Amino acid sequence: MDHAPCTPAPTAPPPPCDAPADAERRGFLKITGGAVALLAGLDAAANTETHAPPPGGDAYNWEEHRWAYVIDTSKCIGCGSCVRACKAENEVPEGFVRTWVERYISGPGGSYVDSPKGGLEGFPPVPTAFTPTKAFFVPKMCNHCKETPCVQVCPVGASYRTKDGVVMVDGKSCIGCGYCVQACPYGSRYLNPVTHTAEKCTWCYHRITKGLKPACVEVCPTSTRIFGNMLREDEPVRQIIDHERVSIMQGHLLTEPQCFYLHLDMEVR
Amino acid sequence: MTGILEFLKGCGRQIKTGNRAYFVWVGALLVAIGIGLVAYVHQARVGLIATNIRDQVSWAFYVGNFTFLVGVAAAAVLLVIPAYVYHWGPLKEVVLLGELLAISALAMCLLFILVDMGRPDRMLHMFPLLGTPNWPRSLLAWDALVLNVYLILNVVVVLYILFQAYNGKEPNKKILLPLVLLSIPISISTHTVTAFLYNGMASRPYWNASILAPRFLASAFCSGPAVMIILFQVLRKTTSIPIKDEAIWKLAELMAYAMFINLFLLGAELFKEFYSQTQELRYTQYLWFGIGGHKALVPYAWGSLVASVAAFFIFLVPRLRQNWVTLNLGCLLIWSGVYIEKGLGLVIPGMTPDTLGEIYEYRPTLTEWSIAVGIFGVGFLIFTILVKISVPILVGTFKTGGAAPASH
Repeated sequence: MDHAPCTPAPTAPPPPCDAPADAERRGFLKITGGAVALLAGLDAAANTETHAPPPGGDAYNWEEHRWAYVIDTSKCIGCGSCVRACKAENEVPEGFVRTWVERYISGPGGSYVDSPKGGLEGFPPVPTAFTPTKAFFVPKMCNHCKETPCVQVCPVGASYRTKDGVVMVDGKSCIGCGYCVQACPYGSRYLNPVTHTAEKCTWCYHRITKGLKPACVEVCPTSTRIFGNMLREDEPVRQIIDHERVSIMQGHLLTEPQCFYLHLDMEVR
Repeated sequence: MTGILEFLKGCGRQIKTGNRAYFVWVGALLVAIGIGLVAYVHQARVGLIATNIRDQVSWAFYVGNFTFLVGVAAAAVLLVIPAYVYHWGPLKEVVLLGELLAISALAMCLLFILVDMGRPDRMLHMFPLLGTPNWPRSLLAWDALVLNVYLILNVVVVLYILFQAYNGKEPNKKILLPLVLLSIPISISTHTVTAFLYNGMASRPYWNASILAPRFLASAFCSGPAVMIILFQVLRKTTSIPIKDEAIWKLAELMAYAMFINLFLLGAELFKEFYSQTQELRYTQYLWFGIGGHKALVPYAWGSLVASVAAFFIFLVPRLRQNWVTLNLGCLLIWSGVYIEKGLGLVIPGMTPDTLGEIYEYRPTLTEWSIAVGIFGVGFLIFTILVKISVPILVGTFKTGGAAPASH
């Protein structure tokens, strides 16, 4: 329903944030080093964006999709359904999460942040030493950055970004060095204790390429999580990003995250 | 062919002969390697969960040791510069010993990376042609490249000098000099690229400071020569290699200057952090004062500073650096100071608190300590054996017995 084939050619989507022109960031060594590689007669500057073959066969055309995600923090009730759905859908190992919910409690006298088990079992009441004046939940996950440091630093090209805008890890090629885990400004990656390779949110790529929503979006009872195709003007994500005052996290790093937030508080980092 | 066989047999003889101290030393190293091996078998079975490395602190003790040893490897070869400038005399010997130390340190570096990998079985993915290195974009791919090039270059120079000496010939300057000159920029680049490995991480402000690479080089000039000073004294006693007192004292003086630059750069960094007091102060604060009850690194940070400052004064005052007791004490102090600074003091605060503000206090497990002990054992054993074979060749007591030398 959400992803019916769109026949009218969509207009070029506007840049979702005020990025300066089309300057490609995190391509520094890609360009300069590319020249070195040419001199050496080696074409090593491989394009990491076309790492995997287009999935989904004929039914899905990744040229017609560019995925984005909106999180309306004012709607989140901290139920943890998204965390549980994600773990079940993606077989996330015990003790790890691909999406999690943080609880913020603050007042003039102080602030408190926690995320017990990532919010997997919801949030028990917590006493604070100060008198809280506001409290809210913030769901977090991989931000699927356009200019992502994780792809930049991966020594073997196991981290890559698909043409439809999803950052993924090739588990068959990952060497488990952990460099991407620390390069991520959003803390979204972990080393799987069974496979010993890096893993992260894929926006349920196996689902979205079949016309389904990511598991976390599917189960969210309050529509906090909204997911869709930026190449279609009628999609709610596109509407919100185009017309509302959205914000992004760690904006100063210019990673161009594709997770957009509504009603983000200054406490959130 | 017979030449090579004869050479290998000769090497075996060199390794098998020695005094009691030599065998005690080798025995101790073998015990250390055994401990490391047992610990690594355990880690290989259960995975990195045997360590205290977690996703919050995903590089730790192993990578800290790696970083320190890259400095040792880089500085060992840079000794060629003062040896040449100050006419220390046995330049060939200084070059050779520096390269032997570099080879041993690099072997340890590669082992520390191997044990830090979740999938060491996929090591080859990093290499050109065999794997899919993300070169030139990833600094880790660069680091693997420069370290291996440096290792190969050192092995070639060492083999060449020894091959010539074994056959009773002096090395050809036209071959040796370009190789040695090439190894100088490559040794600097290995340490610079290793600094850039951290430096390039925008999400880790503690490392994302342009002062990092200069600090790496300054501290490397402290830790590398410290090993050489001790080694020179041992070799003077046990072999006929002529190493002048002045050469050792000059080396100590140069270390004082290097340590001054190192401390100055540290001071510059501390001023910036504590005066501007942005949210990025947290990492520096964690290292020097702790955050709340989290103070695991604080004693090490101050211990490292005290050791470094003390070593600086020892090497600065001529009377102290010319006294063998205080000189060797200074070497030990500088080693421990830089070991902490370039090890846990560099790696851990970069990730504590993590990007989400969470504090995971890292402390190495017994498995990590044991594996590190084992790797240092391997490195020192390689160094011991290389020195044991090379020195007799250099002084001419171990040479070809008249058989035709093997083709090159």
